Amino acid sequence: MTSLATTKKTTPSRERLNPLIWLVIALFLFVMVFPFLWILITSFKPGAEIYGRDTAFRLIAVNPTIDNYTTVINKGILDAVKNSVIVSLITTLYVVFVASMSAYIIARFSFRGKRMLMGLILGISMFPQMIIIGPVFNMFYNLKMLNSYWVTMAYSTITLPSAVWIMIAHFKRIPLSVEEAARIDGCSQWQALWIVIFPMAAPGVFTTAIMTFIAAWNEYLLTLTLNSDKAYHTVPVAINALRTQFTILWGEITAATVLVIIPTLIIVLLFQRQIVSGITSGAVKE
Amino acid sequence: MKKLTILLLIAVLAIGGLTTAMAAEPVVVKFAAQGDSTPATQAVIDAFNAAQTAYKVEWVDMTNDSGAMREQLITTLKAGSSEYDVVSLDVVWAGEFAAAGYIQPLDMMMDEAGLKIEDYNAGSMASGSYAGKQYVMPFFPDLGMLYFRSDIVSEEDGAKLIAGDYTWADLQAMAEKYMGQVGAKDGFVFQSALYEGLVCNANEFTANWKDIKGGLEAMKAMIDDKTTPDNIMTYTEGETANSFVKGESVFARNWPYMWGMIKSEGTIKTDQVGIAPLPGGSTVGGWLLAINKNSENTEGAFEFIKFLNSEAGQIVMSQAYLPGFNAMLTNEDVVKNNELLSMEGFQNALKTTTARPVSAEYSKVSDALQQAIHGYLSGTGTVEDAVKGVETALAN
Amino acid sequence: MTWRQFLFVLPLLLLVSVFSLYPIITSGVYSFFDYQTNDQTRNAMYTGGHLNAPLFHEDGKYLNFYLKKDLQLVDEPGQATIAALQADIEAAIEPYAQKKEPITLPQPEEERILAVIGEIRQRIRSLEEAYPGTELNISENADTLLKEMETCIVGSNFIGLKGYQRLVGDTRFFAALRNTLVFTVISVFFELIIGMGLALVMNRSIRGIGIVRTVSLIPWAIPTAVSALIWTYLYDGTSGIVARVFTQLGLIASPELLLTSAGGTMAAAIIADVWKTTPYMALLLLAGLQVIDRGLYESASVDGAGPMRTFTQITLPLLKPSLLVALLFRTLDAFRVYDLIAVLTKGTPETLSIYAYKVMIGQGNYGYGAVIVLAMFLCVGLIALLYVKVLGAELMND
Repeated sequence: MTSLATTKKTTPSRERLNPLIWLVIALFLFVMVFPFLWILITSFKPGAEIYGRDTAFRLIAVNPTIDNYTTVINKGILDAVKNSVIVSLITTLYVVFVASMSAYIIARFSFRGKRMLMGLILGISMFPQMIIIGPVFNMFYNLKMLNSYWVTMAYSTITLPSAVWIMIAHFKRIPLSVEEAARIDGCSQWQALWIVIFPMAAPGVFTTAIMTFIAAWNEYLLTLTLNSDKAYHTVPVAINALRTQFTILWGEITAATVLVIIPTLIIVLLFQRQIVSGITSGAVKE
Repeated sequence: MKKLTILLLIAVLAIGGLTTAMAAEPVVVKFAAQGDSTPATQAVIDAFNAAQTAYKVEWVDMTNDSGAMREQLITTLKAGSSEYDVVSLDVVWAGEFAAAGYIQPLDMMMDEAGLKIEDYNAGSMASGSYAGKQYVMPFFPDLGMLYFRSDIVSEEDGAKLIAGDYTWADLQAMAEKYMGQVGAKDGFVFQSALYEGLVCNANEFTANWKDIKGGLEAMKAMIDDKTTPDNIMTYTEGETANSFVKGESVFARNWPYMWGMIKSEGTIKTDQVGIAPLPGGSTVGGWLLAINKNSENTEGAFEFIKFLNSEAGQIVMSQAYLPGFNAMLTNEDVVKNNELLSMEGFQNALKTTTARPVSAEYSKVSDALQQAIHGYLSGTGTVEDAVKGVETALAN
Repeated sequence: MTWRQFLFVLPLLLLVSVFSLYPIITSGVYSFFDYQTNDQTRNAMYTGGHLNAPLFHEDGKYLNFYLKKDLQLVDEPGQATIAALQADIEAAIEPYAQKKEPITLPQPEEERILAVIGEIRQRIRSLEEAYPGTELNISENADTLLKEMETCIVGSNFIGLKGYQRLVGDTRFFAALRNTLVFTVISVFFELIIGMGLALVMNRSIRGIGIVRTVSLIPWAIPTAVSALIWTYLYDGTSGIVARVFTQLGLIASPELLLTSAGGTMAAAIIADVWKTTPYMALLLLAGLQVIDRGLYESASVDGAGPMRTFTQITLPLLKPSLLVALLFRTLDAFRVYDLIAVLTKGTPETLSIYAYKVMIGQGNYGYGAVIVLAMFLCVGLIALLYVKVLGAELMND
């Protein structure tokens, strides 16, 4: 390591780095990107080349084709993207709403059982997901909620705890005086939350939303079990369904993967600051 | 008063019209099956819906990941759901579904309709016979068979193969003799990766588990010698088809679907390919049809199953699949749709079908078989251990 | 808490109760029963005697179905005997015709039914004896059917703590626990080392470091089920480039071992996990680095401390809280790994989640599956407790 001591955060490009470190960074970036790159390359190869003992390792396809893309689009991969968007949006909306209310109370007031409540939230985020599958399936079946967007309600187990956690961290940053002023002006707690605190915590709200969206977007097990109908399959489930009885259709899978990674890429590029803040909220004591 | 009469008349007419409309509305029968890359499944559904007006079959498109589909069916059926009326089952699932009481026995319905168990594909029917009751009828049977290059293999050897007059050792010798000709750099390719296909292949090598030691040793001999590719232990159907269809191997063990691949994308042509039965019999694969125990439309469900296995249904299905109704194996229209049936070697293979073990806990049995066999084949265990493992697994 | 404040928290409590507490309690109940959905004698939780009425009725119908076929095979007195037998069987099963579910069965009723089954067996036997030369349909099937009718009488499947007892002696569970621990410890170790390096680099103000951050976020952001599939392809024995490169480097003897051998699958799963979650670890650590007072480094530099010394004397101690939180999060995540292994190898190495899923969903054994899941929950709790003890409960304080 070179001298950490001279680092100054506010002045970019001041520092000279050991070329060895640059090499390590370059290698790291290559390792991070390589799987995607290879998937992109493979997605343009025809089936025979993908399985061939030599052609499988070529950088450029001998006979490049976009057939894989047309096939998966015809198989409805875009419907899965649509489902993923719908499911993730619904989850994000209600989770942000519910989390805001709870986080407001936890961040602002002290009451009996607060530690227990926080312990409960933390406990749930540590839950083995497997535990909820059986009972929740039976409940959904009895209420006729299988194969529907109701699955988003079950997503609360995986999204709500961290959402509350991030929101608490952000609400705490807002000075109490602001709220007190609002209360003097005659705001109720409800109004104080939505008219004063919520807008002021907008960056935090946004971070929560992004994190919730990504968590919902990535969910696999619940959709697999609760929504067996293809019409409700989300991206992770739909892509895995491209494995057939005798072959794994790598051409189609790679093409589908490229297609579904695009939305994620856009989100990461646009919102990386919020994502980073989301990952780190609650992890640092301030 | 007059107004009222007219109103009444209109009301009566309206209600009458409504009820007739309702009576004409066919009962929906839900059919859970995987997506079909061929048009056959949709065609047979359409044919059934056109052939009668009482029922309308709707296809519930299940995931093509068979493991996931089985789990989905189980989770749905165990909850007592009537979501599906007809369910398609992989041949190895039927024992479990029957034991669990998820599906209905069909004997009485079949008897009433005058259908006889022995008229349908033996391996398929046996796969769904549990505790004295018949739970399934065929959706479409599938079977393992030997593909060989008729342009490489001598006529004399070809005749032996087609007649089924050879052993695994003979096959190995032939593979060694012919490999390397016309670009076919490998002698024989089959499936020995760690998965269900290994059980199918072992079932054939051991002649339906009658000669476990001999069969496994024959398998190991094939893997160890140079007639098979170095990485044969990773071969599933995908690798097998890729090798044979591209003309890189002389012999291949695979299912009938590879014939279609040779036709559509083969480097070799079908006139270069012969079909033969396997020395230890052909493992039956394919899918079965059963009725959900909690179906609210049992009659409609059975009507559909009956139709699919009737002459009309089988002709439609034959555009992509083998008939499960034995009488149709020689039917002119069916044979025209499926040229495999006109080949002597294929008909011989059809006569020697065997089923994998029928068990209420098939996945456990299969898992144990795979572990035992793969351990020996990959060189980590002795043949004695493998035989013992296989026997223990089969005893359950 | 005022009732108004309580209303604010109510939606959270409702969701938590329905989707988290209720399943846990239900699982707790399951764990006391030998509850197996694919076994008709145990597919619900019975505390007393039960009769599987639908199956009992069906078997009776089957007896009569075969008897009806036999009507044509016997002479007139035989037909009368069969008809009488049929009528009695019908009478015996009639009360259960409309039953869709098993019904409770008091002890005397159980004995009566067993007696009825015994009587039917006797009468079928004497029918067979009366027609020694004839191959009756009923003789072929009566045994199986009558035996099944007897199994329709189901006792209680409450087993109390026996499931937990079984767990203690379950070598497969401990193998899964060991696999899970190996996976967790090795993955988290490498994630920590690489993540720390990455965080230290990202903490410097170098032009272009934003790219490193953006790029490393991508693996984290895509669904595990999708990235696992990508790796399945890269590891493929015939056409996987990573498998091939590893073979050429001499890391593995032949390419298929990555997805078939025990060591190979473990390594494969760990590499894929490290690839996907190192950035997450790095960002957690970065956050910790950024709150360290930079003045401390400057004074260390003035004192002539070398980089290694600075790292161990200043960075590490001050980073400790963030480090522990990052480790806690990642350890618990890795411990629960499911998607990755389920997609990558369809279940090897068998971790606790995979084992629980196979037992519950695969084999339909919800009773024992619940025992495994609860044991897993206990492990998770222990790990968390361990960390919180070290953390000094800092997580919970506000």
